[in-house]
Amino acid sequence: MRINCPCCGERGIDEFSYYGDATVTRPDLTSPTAMAEFVAYAFERANIPGPHRELWYHAAGCHLWLVVTRNIATHEILSVESARDVALARNANAKGSA
Amino acid sequence: MAKSTLAAQSAFTDLKTSKHAALTIEVLDDLTMASIASSKGRAEEVKAAIRAAYGVELPTTPERVTGKGIAFIWHGPDQWMAIADRGAGMRDIEVELKPVLAGIAAVVDQSDGRAVVRLSGPRVRDVLAKGVGIDLDPRAFKSNGVAITHASHIGIVLWQVNDAPAYEIAMFRSFADSFATWLTHSAAEFIGH
Ligand SMILES: [Zn+2]
Repeated sequence: MRINCPCCGERGIDEFSYYGDATVTRPDLTSPTAMAEFVAYAFERANIPGPHRELWYHAAGCHLWLVVTRNIATHEILSVESARDVALARNANAKGSA
Repeated sequence: MAKSTLAAQSAFTDLKTSKHAALTIEVLDDLTMASIASSKGRAEEVKAAIRAAYGVELPTTPERVTGKGIAFIWHGPDQWMAIADRGAGMRDIEVELKPVLAGIAAVVDQSDGRAVVRLSGPRVRDVLAKGVGIDLDPRAFKSNGVAITHASHIGIVLWQVNDAPAYEIAMFRSFADSFATWLTHSAAEFIGH
């Protein structure tokens, strides 16, 4: 598997570390249902074969955090984005809808 | 307290500068280096300050730019490594850059934190291919190209100096001997032990 880092270009999987599901966001610790929300955040996964958004870290390269959309059945990589850009866009959307 | 004077020591215990038909190894012990990390949102100001002071444009892609007696190596997003020869005048690039980038970037001396070696010669790509996953074919990687990667699991920053071809490789100083072991094994078939 090779990942096309937005900074470095295409690199072998040996340069990257996998950091899990990129679709979940950390719950609010002060929520009255925080315990249930954290259980869902940490453990509950649908694990559907097909495209999935994952966090990867370019550990042996530029140290950028990435959101990789990968078909977990075929390993085909559909997109690679900077996790920072994804987070900023998500925050902007949250603000816009508030 | 009296100021102690410590003799400079190469990061490489056994690796010495040596010239062979297939490969030339040069241990670059007399460098002054500093890392530059832009403060959040200040990268354009950092670029402007370096442009004003050295007349070069800091690269935003994995490339090296050279100015008069100085080189800037891309080192990640909004980060660079400045490198120059220390020379008889004991040039100190950290001291030189700090006032230029005051308040807009973190400038940290790396001169004794990194070890740098220059490799050149007709078989240099074959030697590197045994541990470096980057395609160094001239169609894919050119002079002034930079790659942050690893050589046989040792983190390195590699850049191409010229089309000879010559490459320079920087690593954390404590990995210098491990790197030298890999390099001498990798080069053995071309230069002997
Ligand atoms: Zn990268």
